[in-house]
This record gives sequence, C-alpha cells and structure tokens, in this order.
Amino acid sequence: MRDGKHDDKGTPGDSLLQVLDPDCFFHILYPVVNSVMKKNTKIPVLLVAVMIVFCWMTTSRAAENSLEKIKKRGVLLWGADAEGGAPYVFPDPGDPSRLIGFEVDLADAIAKDLGVAARQSQNAWDSLVPALERGDFDMAMNGIEITPQRKERVLFSRPYYIYTEQLVVKSDESRIKDMKDLTGKKVGTLSGTAAQAMLEKMGGVDTRIYSGQVEPYEDLEIGRIDAVLLDLPIAAYYAKPNPKLKYAGGSEGEGFYGIAIRKDNEDLRAKVDEILSRLLKTGELKRIYEKWGLWDKTQEKLLGNTGGGGYVGLEESRKAPLYTFLPTLLKGAAATVVISAMSMALAVSLGLAIALLRIFASAPLRTLAVSYIELYRGTPLLIQLFILYYGLPNIGVSLNPLTAAVLGLGMNYAAYEAEIYRAGIDAVPKGQMEAALSLGMSRGLALRRVILPQGFRIALPAITNDFIALFKDSSLVSVIAMVELAKTYSMLAVSTLRFFELGLVVALLYFAMSYPLSLLARRLEAKLKGAGR
Amino acid sequence: MITVRDLHKMYGDQALFRGINLSIRKGEVVVCIGPSGSGKSTFLRCINGLEFFEKGEIDIDDIALHSINRIRPSKEDMETLRKIRLKVGMVFQQFNLFPHMTVLENIAEAPVKVLGMAKSGADELARSLLKRINLAGKVNNYPAELSGGEQQRVAIARALAMRPEAMLFDEPTSSLDPEMVGEVLSVIKDLVNEGLTTIIATHEMDFARDVAGRVVVFDQGEIVEIGSPDDIFTNPSADRTKLFLSRVLKR
Repeated sequence: MRDGKHDDKGTPGDSLLQVLDPDCFFHILYPVVNSVMKKNTKIPVLLVAVMIVFCWMTTSRAAENSLEKIKKRGVLLWGADAEGGAPYVFPDPGDPSRLIGFEVDLADAIAKDLGVAARQSQNAWDSLVPALERGDFDMAMNGIEITPQRKERVLFSRPYYIYTEQLVVKSDESRIKDMKDLTGKKVGTLSGTAAQAMLEKMGGVDTRIYSGQVEPYEDLEIGRIDAVLLDLPIAAYYAKPNPKLKYAGGSEGEGFYGIAIRKDNEDLRAKVDEILSRLLKTGELKRIYEKWGLWDKTQEKLLGNTGGGGYVGLEESRKAPLYTFLPTLLKGAAATVVISAMSMALAVSLGLAIALLRIFASAPLRTLAVSYIELYRGTPLLIQLFILYYGLPNIGVSLNPLTAAVLGLGMNYAAYEAEIYRAGIDAVPKGQMEAALSLGMSRGLALRRVILPQGFRIALPAITNDFIALFKDSSLVSVIAMVELAKTYSMLAVSTLRFFELGLVVALLYFAMSYPLSLLARRLEAKLKGAGR
Repeated sequence: MITVRDLHKMYGDQALFRGINLSIRKGEVVVCIGPSGSGKSTFLRCINGLEFFEKGEIDIDDIALHSINRIRPSKEDMETLRKIRLKVGMVFQQFNLFPHMTVLENIAEAPVKVLGMAKSGADELARSLLKRINLAGKVNNYPAELSGGEQQRVAIARALAMRPEAMLFDEPTSSLDPEMVGEVLSVIKDLVNEGLTTIIATHEMDFARDVAGRVVVFDQGEIVEIGSPDDIFTNPSADRTKLFLSRVLKR
C-alpha cells in the first residue's frame, strides 16, 4: 500500500476480494493453480491466504510508459504458442531453430515500425492472457479471438484478421454436408476457441476437446471422430492439403483476431493500432496474408473495421454466478471418478499378478515382471499416454480416449502397486507360510488365504496413498482428449478467464473426493488392526 | 511309521547332518533333546518336508519323501509333499497362528479348504477341540488377544483338526513364559496318552522323562545316544550326553 492506491476503495464493509487488484490474482495464483493441476501438491489454505495478503500489500504496479520501455529494450516481446502452431507461428520445417508463420511476419512488421526487433516468447495457448497480465511479454498475438470476456481483462488492437470456422470431414464422408448434420456426431475442436463455443451452443454435438491443432485432424483421419471444426487458417494449413480429408460446406461464423495488450498499456495499444492501419492501407498486410494463402474476400472488411469490437456472438457473456458451472464441473468430476476407479481396479489386479510373478515365478517370468516394473516406473506417465493414444494408431491400433486413459493410468500404477504388494508379502513372517503348508495347504491356497490377506493389511496405507495419487494423476489424461475434471476446469477457465474462483471450486471438488477416501482407508486400517496380532 | 536313513543336510557349505538314522513305530513317543543348534528342530522340519536335504531317505509309511525333486518339483511331487503333511501335523515354537483369523477360523480353515469338510462340521470340530483344551470361551477371539500358552494350545488344536497320524512338536514351550509351560505340556501329555505317534523336540527334561518312550540325544548334527528315559537320565553312556545333562539339570 505504498501509494495508497486502494485506500479510497477500501471501506470496512468491502470484502477482501473487491479490494484486490484483479491483476494480482493471476500474478500470484495462476502459477499455483497451474502447479496444482500438473503436480500432486496440495496447496495449504494458509499458504494461499498468505499469498493473497502479500499480493494485496504489494500490488501497486507503477504504470510506466510501456512504449518507451520497449524502445529502450530494443526488443518487442510477443507471446504465442509455436507448438503445432502452423500457419500462425511454427518452427520452420527446413530450419527448426527459426520460427515462421503469418503472425511472425506481422510481428516483424510491427517491430520494424517501432524501430526494434521482435522476439517471440513461447507460452501455452491456453494461458496466453494470464501470462500477458503477469508481464511475461508486451503483447500476445496468436489467433486470439476478440471476446467480451477477454476484453474485460486485456486491451485489444483493431482486428488484424477475420477468421471463419471451417468444418472438415473425411474425404469419403457422405452423411455430414455442413454444420446442420453434426447432431450426435463426434466433433473435434481446440480447447477455448470460438469453434468450441459454437459447437456447445448448437447442442446435441458430442464435442471432443483437444489442446493441439494437429491431433484432431489425426483422430479424424483414423476415424476416432467424425468431423473437426476449427478456424479456417488451421484448416487451410493442416486439412486442405491432406487427400484423406475434405471441407464440408463453406466457412461459418465470423470473428476477429486481435493483438492482446495489458490494460495499463494504452499507449502501446494506440501505437499498434496506428501501425496496423498503416499496414492495411499500404497493402503490406495483404502481401503477408497472400504469402500464406490466407487472403480472401472476407479480409477486405478489415479496412472498414477499426474498432476492437465487432465480435460475432459465439459465446454467451459468462458473468454468471459460480453455481451455473457446477453441472459441467460435476460431470467432469464424474468422469474423473470413473477413470480413477477403473484405472485403480486395473492397477490393483495387474499389480498383484506382477508382484506374484516377481516373488514366486521361475526366472524368465520373474525377469519379465521386473522389466515391466522398471520400464513403467522409469518413464513418464505423460509419454506413456501419448504413445498409447497417439502412437499406437501408427501401428494400426486405435484406442478410444477412455480405454487409453484407463490402460495408461492402470498399467503405470500397476508397476507401483506391484512393488507395494511385494513389500507387503515379504513382510509376512516366514512361519505363516510354513504353518499353512504344514496343514496340508498348497502354496496357492496358502498364498490366497494366509499370506495375501496379511500382506494386504501391511500394504494398505501405501495402497491408499497410491490411489489418491492416481486420482489426482488422472488429470493427466486430458492430453488424450479425455474431458475430466481438470480439463473441464481449464476449458471453463480459459473461456471465462475466471481462473481463480473456478480453480478454488475445482480444488475443493478434488479434495471433497479424495478426503473421504483417506477417511475410508483409515477406518479400514483401524478395523484390520483390531484383528491384528 | 517314520523311517530316516542316512540323512545328510548342508547349511551353506557346512554339513549339519552327516548320516542320521532313526525309525519311529506307530504310537511311539520320541523326545529329542540336546543343546541349541544341535539339529533337533531341523530334523523335525526335514520329516515334514519344510527343509530340503541333500542325501538320505525318509519314508512316512509308504511315501518316500526323498523321491521328491525339491529344486523343480513336479505336480506329483507337490501332491506327495501335501500327503505327507496331512499324515504328519506340526506345532511350531512361534505358534504361527494366522493373525487375521479368529481362533475358530484358525482351526476350521484347513479342514474346510484342504479336506473339503462342510463349514458347519469344521466349526463343530473346532469347538469340540477347543473345549478339550479348555479354550471354549475364546472361540471368536483373535490370536493377539490370547496369552502365549493359549495361542500354542490353539496351534495344537489346529494341527489336530486335520486328524494327523503323527505329530511333530518343535520346541513347543521355548517361547513361552514359564508359568504357561505347564498348560501346554499337559495338553501334549494328554495326546501322548491317547496313543498318537509323536516326536517332540524340547528343552523340558522333566517332561521328556515323563512322556518319552525313547529319548534321542542330538549334538552337533549327530545322534549321540538313543535310549529309554531311565537309561538316558540316570545312566547315560555317552560323554556328550553326560556333559549336556550336567549343564541343563544344574539349573
């Protein structure tokens, strides 16, 4: 509160939230929420509270003249996601160390006008806006649609491209002629895009959400989905040259890409607008688009459209109260529960089989079991999921997302479960097996009735721990087009930009599901201990 | 009923048994004594197939234990082992009750799962055995809730429930508090009096003297002397027996 910025707003009746600078939430909380989603760390509530207070106290960012800062630095930093980003921004296939794309050309043109060099800053597309707000770069330009939600958070330049949505189907597709035929069909699209909103608004479409733009077309090719709806530039680059795919109907909807700029950088926005207008008038922009095969009649409207507005209503403004998101979130939670339960069932049974092989089987099988464990423990789950879902089709095996998710998680955790069981079985005193054998039991019977029940009891705390870890790791399967709770969150948050409130709700949901599990395990343990030695 | 001929057993690269011979008739009570580590426990475990031996022969009635391939046992080999264990019950020093089962379940488990007895019949059998060892009140307790002496009596009942033709007791009172030794020994004595073929390894000399038909003295993996209790305890012939007895009886 060095400059007393909030003093005038902070009447005693105000809630803390109202007093806070909204920028501050992203600054502090986005990395936290992000890390919670990626890792298994639980955020202690206290830590969040401390961070909020800390942020509240230090949140006065002096609005400096950003334009001067850029010129002093000599570099214009612009944020974009080059991963599978053709034709916007992507690594040059001939020289992957270099980025190319129509937005690269545009950034260069803007920087040249400013008398500086342009440098792209790599950032996941989903989180370009929060990263911009955090100050990671001066502007974000990456096919970001101008929407009312985004306009609440950032400034937009005048539109630099008018996008339309293009439906793509397999070349032998006869049922789907245009958007009207999509009811009940599986349609792939990108997370957080206008196309996604469009599909959701239509209703009755089985929308499959991807986080990259290459994957939906690949899945379409191998028949996992029936159609793909994405922005025309993407379709033009990835689908049009592919003989196995074709356009269905003309392009639909119309919206604008704008360059996003931080709210307090009005001067930069004015300058960028000025430069864009000039590029349009001189035809330089047209030349860039023609170079990439993107110039069409639609783009001519750019000349007349100078305001950042002109948004085609693909999404409802989402100032809705939080509870309206609950049904969607609960659906995601249900998917998480189903995936976790099925994966755990697989992990438990497969793990047991592997543990038994490792302890009791003959040498070759034992080696196989050990190799399995080492292989699955020694490679990242993420890679295993990618191989299962995107890799196997290369050799002719195509799994649906749920199967791939359950197999991926289950087979991975089976390796850990196997080791837990082995430790549990090893911990059962040798005399137990001898006593069972001396009663005439076969080894198998002794194992089943005497050794395993005791080993299970010893291993139970570790098994519970694993189940909770698996439960949270299930968020990883969002990379294979499986929409569960974490994915639902990122989709909702990206389209509404309400990362904070939704994040807390989702964290709470996860906790509400995993905590009873801990309690249950504790009770089971206590019960078994009652029957202990 | 049990015949052991020229039994050899190695522990690592050290020889424990270098040719043991002993045969036990039906209904006979043989008590093995000797210093700790002299091989009496291992001897019992060999008879029950829990220990592997390198050379020699063990016949249980007409079943040849030595015919079994212990490194790569075939299905028949496993079945032979099981048959032997059904004939010869065993009670361990550490009781080895199943901690996750109640007293009743401990006893009824094998009759049901191994002999295929009906659950109700096995429970009935277990109850009557428990009554015999004065533990009828502990039917639904878990082993952890019993004293050591009670646990060992349950372990005896558990072995008896399989109706074995012979019983092996491997130092059944060695891990008991002194005040519990008596109750366990009296149960064993009752069994012996009923004419069950029995081999007992023990450090309880008075008991050995009381119940033994023959006493076998082990020392360093050898049988030093075999004789009637009177012979061994009042008139031992081997020096090693004398030395051992002088040590244990002094206490």
